[in-house]
Amino acid sequence: MNWTGAVRTMLVCAILIVLHYTLRPLLAWRASIDFLIVALLLGSVRLRPGAAAVYGFLLGLVADSIAVSPFGAAALAMSIVGFGASWLKAVFFADNLALNGFFLFLAKWIFDLIFLIVGHRAIDPELAMQIFVWSPLAAAVTAVAGVLALSLLKPLMEVRTT
Amino acid sequence: MATAARYGSRVDAGLLVGCVVLSLIAVVLKDEDREPVASALRRSVVAPLVSLQRGAERWRSAWVTSEQRQLVADSGAIRGIKEHALLVENEQLRKIVGLGSRLEWGFVPAEAVHSAAPSEDVVTNMTLTAGSVAGVQRYNPVVAPEGLVGVVQTADPTMSVAILYTSPDFRASAMSADASAFGIVYPHTGRGSAAYMLELRGVPTRVQLKPGTQIFTSGLGGTFPRGITIGTVVSELKTTEPWTRTYLLRPAVSPSRVTTVLVLTAQRVTQGTGNVWGVAVNADSATRRIAAANDSIARQAALIEAQARRAALDSVRRATIDSVRRSLGAFVSPESPDSANRASGILPGAPRAPVQRRDTTRARRDSIRPDTTRKSPT
Repeated sequence: MNWTGAVRTMLVCAILIVLHYTLRPLLAWRASIDFLIVALLLGSVRLRPGAAAVYGFLLGLVADSIAVSPFGAAALAMSIVGFGASWLKAVFFADNLALNGFFLFLAKWIFDLIFLIVGHRAIDPELAMQIFVWSPLAAAVTAVAGVLALSLLKPLMEVRTT
Repeated sequence: MATAARYGSRVDAGLLVGCVVLSLIAVVLKDEDREPVASALRRSVVAPLVSLQRGAERWRSAWVTSEQRQLVADSGAIRGIKEHALLVENEQLRKIVGLGSRLEWGFVPAEAVHSAAPSEDVVTNMTLTAGSVAGVQRYNPVVAPEGLVGVVQTADPTMSVAILYTSPDFRASAMSADASAFGIVYPHTGRGSAAYMLELRGVPTRVQLKPGTQIFTSGLGGTFPRGITIGTVVSELKTTEPWTRTYLLRPAVSPSRVTTVLVLTAQRVTQGTGNVWGVAVNADSATRRIAAANDSIARQAALIEAQARRAALDSVRRATIDSVRRSLGAFVSPESPDSANRASGILPGAPRAPVQRRDTTRARRDSIRPDTTRKSPT
């Protein structure tokens, strides 16, 4: 990835992070869009797995510091998701919108799974409801929004699949 | 090359492990230990994002608040409209109840459902929610508290259709309030608001009606009873008829405001409605009724007065006789009938309230009033 591509990717990630803290509170949906996951995947597929893990860790720290959730849970989940995304992109990632959507869905659900289990520290019906109902819904919404955002921001960034 | 790749993989794995370990440490940290770290992040690197989120939440809160205010305002407006509609309906129902209580009998209450076709400019008929089962028959008059509405055209078992006074088929024999002018009421052929006006045709030329004169049904023809308000004279219309006059009438009833009506039965039409709508022509009969009632009251009062006078004289006469007997030493029965009480309706021997008995051992001269003994009963 050359410098221009890196700057563009950083710019798009910054836009997505800003959207996460502006559009999401405005919408206030029960199953909300997670623009941080979109930004994480967008950056991770362009980084080495180790760097992606660090990127995820930093994004997670930002999320943890603002949210009221247990500190470190988002950092752990995003580190794993970022590393996995960067590692898996070498296996099957391609410039395909449907695949990108599925990738986003999977990433968001895994993130929620780790985040909720680490954050709750106890299995109860509410956690199960969150994992099997609200998390898939949020993952689907995030996948749709992520695909839309990537389509809109495509001219701004250089897509590299190798 | 392979060595570099292996090295890179180890670095990646190491970084991942490092991030995971740091995250787990952050998770297991106590609140008092992790809060300074989070607070430092919020104050430094994440501060712009915090302010962005706060601003967005403020916007959201303002939007929700304004939406709630709008909803409250809308609810208030809707409540006000409903309240006004309820007030109007309540007033109409009160009037209908008042009309029903004045009529007392011979009517069928019904709700009026307006059924104007889209092509019609003027509402000419309405569906009533009462039919032949309830006693509604064809040609029964349909009335409202304000006056005449129309006449029943068809009567089904559970519903009926009435033509309004706006219908081209509507006719009614009418007269002025003082019964000086008679004529036939027709619907006025006009457009717009004039389509709801009426015409009083066939009024003799010698009779001139002033604007504002009230017009009532005359009772001629047998369809409508005498005395239902039709409307008021607005002006005279110029026609080619030389011997008769035609007047434009403003109807007493507005069809669009009629929601509940009364259908007068045939028997009621035959026997008349009396002074229900306050027509002056019925005043003579009302006056007769009042005079008759007054006479009967006067008769009853005179009768009571005569009875009371007779009873008083009877008591005085008996008291005089008793006093004379006592003065002569004769026996006076304590159970002597009391004519005053008899006159007042108390039977002899019936329990009575204790009365302060006067002293009867000594005859009192002043107890005999010469003016009452000498006078003869009138």
